[in-house]
Amino acid sequence: MEKEIKTILLVDDDIDLLEQNKLILESKGYHIITAENVDDAWNVFKKEKPDAAILDLIMEEHDAGFILSHKIKRDEYGKNIPVFLLTSATYVTGMKFDASTAEEQEWIHCDGWFNKPIEIEELARKLEECFEKYKSK
Amino acid sequence: MPRILIVDDEKGLRLGTSRLLTAEGYEVDTAENGTEGIKLGTTNDYDLAVIDMKMPDIDGIDVLKAIKEKRPNTICFIATAYASYETAIEATRLGAASYIPKPFTPEELIKQLESGYEKRLLLLEAEKLKREREERMLEVAFEKTRLNTIVNSIVDGVIVVNKSGELVLFNSAALKYYHLSNSMIGENILTFIHPKISELVNNFFTSEEYLDKSFSEQIELKPDRELVVDVTCSPVPQVDKSLAGVVIVITNITELKKIEHIKSQFVSMVAHELKTPIAAVLGFLKIIIDPEFKLSPEQQKDYLTRSEKRLVTLVDMVNDLLDISRMEIGTKRREIKEIDLAEIIKSNTDFLELELKKRNLTLNLDLPDGLPLLKADYNEISRLFTNIIGNSVKYNRDNGSIDIKIKFENGNLITSISDTGIGMKPEEKNRLFQEFFRAKNESTRNIPGTGLGLSIVKRIAESYSGNITVESEYGKGSTFTVIFPLKQSQ
Repeated sequence: MEKEIKTILLVDDDIDLLEQNKLILESKGYHIITAENVDDAWNVFKKEKPDAAILDLIMEEHDAGFILSHKIKRDEYGKNIPVFLLTSATYVTGMKFDASTAEEQEWIHCDGWFNKPIEIEELARKLEECFEKYKSK
Repeated sequence: MPRILIVDDEKGLRLGTSRLLTAEGYEVDTAENGTEGIKLGTTNDYDLAVIDMKMPDIDGIDVLKAIKEKRPNTICFIATAYASYETAIEATRLGAASYIPKPFTPEELIKQLESGYEKRLLLLEAEKLKREREERMLEVAFEKTRLNTIVNSIVDGVIVVNKSGELVLFNSAALKYYHLSNSMIGENILTFIHPKISELVNNFFTSEEYLDKSFSEQIELKPDRELVVDVTCSPVPQVDKSLAGVVIVITNITELKKIEHIKSQFVSMVAHELKTPIAAVLGFLKIIIDPEFKLSPEQQKDYLTRSEKRLVTLVDMVNDLLDISRMEIGTKRREIKEIDLAEIIKSNTDFLELELKKRNLTLNLDLPDGLPLLKADYNEISRLFTNIIGNSVKYNRDNGSIDIKIKFENGNLITSISDTGIGMKPEEKNRLFQEFFRAKNESTRNIPGTGLGLSIVKRIAESYSGNITVESEYGKGSTFTVIFPLKQSQ
């Protein structure tokens, strides 16, 4: 049976990084839809209902990605898809944590936390893990 | 050798007594009447005096009174043949040590004088001790006042505890940190002060031997850097080098900590801002190099061009940062000349002519003749206007306009630069002069910039005692006003 192609929403306000990550994820067989700001991202999310979302933490505002991930996770559809945050800036915001424990996930409202530049193998593995997890729910 | 004065009008008695006492080792003076007795008795500090009660000129009692008044420590005896209870009482009341009835035997006299002399020595000793004590008390009081004055003039908080942790002394600066009062002296304050300070103090108490060193720690007394202090605890030794107590010195380092925090935040921000374009370039290079992506030559060229653009911005950013740093340290060389703002504006706008034409922007200049000149560095002022005028082009809409006006008013050279561009939201306006702030939205996405330009502009203006303000309406346009006061800079 052919594997179902998953659609991932990728959000970053740096268009160069957005395009690079899109290419990299596409090379792993995902279908990527993109948005360059939080408002567009929300609209695309509602319309396209992606299978996962990967958000840059720092966009127009320092915590824009953070807020967007909360919003998606509160959504009736969004609460059942994996959401990852990307950052190169834990030392700027002073936020230093990962989402490894249940407690942290509860608080951060996302399924994983990746530093930029992304390690695609690890991200892909984590994505598949989460797809399994949500499917079994 | 005891000194004694014999006051008696009876010559035989004077001579006999004198001879007797001299032989006994006394130094004897004699007076033949009351007047002379008073004179000698008050001008000399005799150890002892024997005064005859009945004398032709002055009564012995009056002589006694006069001598006692002037020389209270001279032990006086009244000698009389007319002994009566009343005179004895009177003489004792006036300070006579005893009463010697006449006639007396040499033994009787000597015995009385010996006990009198003993009394005199005791009196003198007591007097000496009293004087010494008074002197010492004065000295101590003076020392204490002086110490208090010194301790209170120290800007740092000083608290001294004894080896039981009881409050011994504190200065007024210590009150900024703790509500101490004189009534608390003697109370254990280790539970009252910050636990970390108590811990430092306890280092001395728990050590078995005397610790001849200090312990310091930076402690946040109020959270979020509201009050940060540096606390140093040092031992106070006894004479035998055992511990008498501990001196706690509290220095307010809040301002220092705030500056440190701002600085480290700035460094983090710089690192992040530098890392982002590097990451973008690196990302493109990896994709170009990796055969898996099979890029078309056009795509490759596009990615290389975009990489180049990011690197140009990065170099601009590094240059801007270097400029900011030079401005901060004050190592930037300045060549102060009289410069004409109108000329600077003209040369800046000439330079933009091509860009103005391309975007069909109208430029309206209102630069009156004969404006006063500004004493400043040409390059700095030119850079300031290049930046603002550049922004008015970059952030303008096509077919819009730019208005530049200079006027001289109340001693100020005022330049205003208005555009019909995208304008700013109030929250964007507030952060405009912050390092690395760039309004990010649909219309600004493709406008390059380091986010440092206006922060540099502001620094330049302020370094000439000037000021820069901005009025803006979102979607309509912005007006930047640069004010240079001439008085201060001339």
